Amino acid sequence: MSQEEKKSFWQNLKEILYGMASHDMSRYALRTRASMEHLFILITMGDMIGIPILPPYYSLRLLPYVVPQISTWKRRLLREKDISDAMF
Amino acid sequence: MTSLRKIFEEHPERRYIMFGGKGGLGKTTFSAATAYWLAKQGKKVLVFSVDPQASLSDIFQRDIFGKGPVQIMENLWAQEIDADQHIKAYQQEIRQKILDMYGFDRVPDEIEQYIQAASAEPAMEESAIFDAVVDIVVEGKYDYYIYDLVPLGHALYYLSMAKVYDEWITKITRLREEMREYEEMVARLKRQKETEEDQILRELQYIRSRINASSRILTDKEKTAFFFVLVPEEMILIDTQKAAELFARFDVPISGYVVNRVVPRELLNQNIPPYLKNRIEMQEKYLREIERLFGSQVAAYVPELERDVTGLEMIAKLSHIMYGD
Repeated sequence: MSQEEKKSFWQNLKEILYGMASHDMSRYALRTRASMEHLFILITMGDMIGIPILPPYYSLRLLPYVVPQISTWKRRLLREKDISDAMF
Repeated sequence: MTSLRKIFEEHPERRYIMFGGKGGLGKTTFSAATAYWLAKQGKKVLVFSVDPQASLSDIFQRDIFGKGPVQIMENLWAQEIDADQHIKAYQQEIRQKILDMYGFDRVPDEIEQYIQAASAEPAMEESAIFDAVVDIVVEGKYDYYIYDLVPLGHALYYLSMAKVYDEWITKITRLREEMREYEEMVARLKRQKETEEDQILRELQYIRSRINASSRILTDKEKTAFFFVLVPEEMILIDTQKAAELFARFDVPISGYVVNRVVPRELLNQNIPPYLKNRIEMQEKYLREIERLFGSQVAAYVPELERDVTGLEMIAKLSHIMYGD
């Protein structure tokens, strides 16, 4: 077996193991992370949907970093029945 | 030597000087006179106003509003912060950052609306002033910084805001850190390399350091001298006591009380109308009360002057009364 094939064999095995053992975990972690991101935007940019929480002066400082997430965030909050559902 | 002067000479480390009290009692006047005296002593002094209705322009008879530090005389600079101007520049900075970060030609409507709506909030102005003060003080170019403080209620709001902000930021920082842990976990599971640094977290830490810098100065027992301005009248006396308690709760170190508008007692020896006589007697009663309540903490009694204090000549005169020479 050549060196290359061996590597790709190991690579495949690694990916299979990843799929079996931790793909779900990382998916779950990513989902949780996304929920937290939305919670974070809610508490910093709340006044965008009429919930003022952070003093606006400082929320403006954070605004540039969340620009790409704003539209998904709004969509998600509007989809949920209750804001508290979106939080957890 | 006046006891006010003694406080300054015994504590040269107290570089942040504040006069607080109800509106119209003479905070600006005392700030100006103190700045004048310190400048004459060869210290480099900046007197600045955090009040949107600032009156330093009036007392120095120069239009200094929103013009940055303006030199009034040797060693003395005065500054009135223009909150609106500060907010506009700040908004522009945010817009530019968004454009630079994402290579947009223009800020998306949704975002632009938010930027404008946020600036209409009442807390915006206070925060902007707060932030501008940090800029001024952190720079540290002057020997003395004299805050011409806003009336008491605002000053307390200013202080309590610092505490609330700090706690708030601590909470979201924690949330942000937790988010980062998840991100790292995913990276580990997927065997990716290190995740990139969380810029939001860095931004939050920066905000916290700014807020802390400002409230630290206001409550610094070593470097800050806070003087209450009052006049011998019942309502003012009651309010001052209340405010002093509140300030103590926020750990503001009170250096002393300055009693203003004392009608000279010697006038009683002259033939004066009953109106004035009654006023002197009324003041006498409250002066005794002040003596009983604050005693040795009273740093100066300043007489009612024959005219209002505006212009350097009157400021010099008042400074002489307050500090001697």
